[in-house]
Amino acid sequence: MTKNSSLLLLTKITIIALIVGAISLPTILEIVSPFWMLIFFIYWVIYTDTKAIYLFALILGLLTDILQGSILGQNALALLISSAFIFNVKKSFYVSNLTTQQVYVFIASLIYLIALILTHIAIQGFNFSWLIILSPFTASIIWPVVRLFLAKLKH
Amino acid sequence: MRLFKLLVPILISIILIVLDARFSYLDSFKRFTLTLLSPIYFVVDLPSHVVDWVNDQGSEKAQLVSENKYLEGKTIELKARLQTYNNLVLENQKLTQLLDATYTIPEHKITLAHVKSISQSRLKKQIIINKGSKDGVRNTQLIVGSDGVVGQVTQVTPLYSTVQLITDPTQHMPVKNVRNGIRGVTKGLATNERGMIVKFIPLDSDVKLGDIFVTSGIGTTYPPGYLVGKVSKIDKPPNEAFLTITLKPMQNMDKLEFILIISQKND
Repeated sequence: MTKNSSLLLLTKITIIALIVGAISLPTILEIVSPFWMLIFFIYWVIYTDTKAIYLFALILGLLTDILQGSILGQNALALLISSAFIFNVKKSFYVSNLTTQQVYVFIASLIYLIALILTHIAIQGFNFSWLIILSPFTASIIWPVVRLFLAKLKH
Repeated sequence: MRLFKLLVPILISIILIVLDARFSYLDSFKRFTLTLLSPIYFVVDLPSHVVDWVNDQGSEKAQLVSENKYLEGKTIELKARLQTYNNLVLENQKLTQLLDATYTIPEHKITLAHVKSISQSRLKKQIIINKGSKDGVRNTQLIVGSDGVVGQVTQVTPLYSTVQLITDPTQHMPVKNVRNGIRGVTKGLATNERGMIVKFIPLDSDVKLGDIFVTSGIGTTYPPGYLVGKVSKIDKPPNEAFLTITLKPMQNMDKLEFILIISQKND
């Protein structure tokens, strides 16, 4: 993937992830829904040769924070740590079958969730719905659909 | 080198978290970026715009539809005004009994806004409304629905504003009991979608199930007299100085469509 096409894909992914993340759902579904920016970003990390992954993770995380009204840096930190994990297993992820990829997505989402919750607890205490722990499961379940959609988008 | 590339952005995000959580240096940056990103809100909200437009076009009674919308808004506005007046009547009765005193009725400007179907952080209870700084909306303004207080404006862009609901655990609001004027502060409950607790009410206070709490008007942020919630549970925890009072919000947060932005007349 050339640098230009990689950046073009990232732009498309960012816009779609921000839009999908902003779509309103019933309260419970909203809490358990996947971390959209993360799973879209995972796809980009897997297929890009760009070196500045962490810089883009920081920028996209900050955009997510601002659009969702979170504390600035909260999603950015979570996305950075999850991206580091995905970057480390990138080669294995690329050649894995769908089920193994789902496991990787689950672990990345779990890391994201832990980072998000830890920062939330540090600042605001234990005040969140425990249903949020289901979001890594939904992320891994929805990964095949996202992958198919983004593969079409890439071409 | 790879570790350094990761650590620098991590450090930046931690610094940003601390700065944003403890100080307000980044508010202008956030507002500016959110203004740039607000077309996303427009895109997400586009289907509902289209549905509304198709409905309006398809109707042979377009005028009736718009009149109906106007009246619907007017009804909510009047119901909200009634909340303060009902409270004032009670207040007035008490004061008349005690002192034969006069009471100044607070004058507020009311702006009608529409709640947008736009999702926010799952760790916060927030909504987006279709009025922004262009319409005179400012941070900290009180938001009410037809039945009671909804929350407070926390972020404003030219076209949209973010409202933090009173049921959010980080939202605190000074309230008082309509029956006897006992004052406390509400705090949302994360685990209960529709609940709040009232803090700082001493153990020996006279609070009963069904008592109504309204905004007390302490400080300048919230105007007084708007319905907040009804007492649904009272606990007297041992070894604690205060009661734990659970309130059920008067306003059903799940059925919000139109809301009112309350501002002082001189705003």
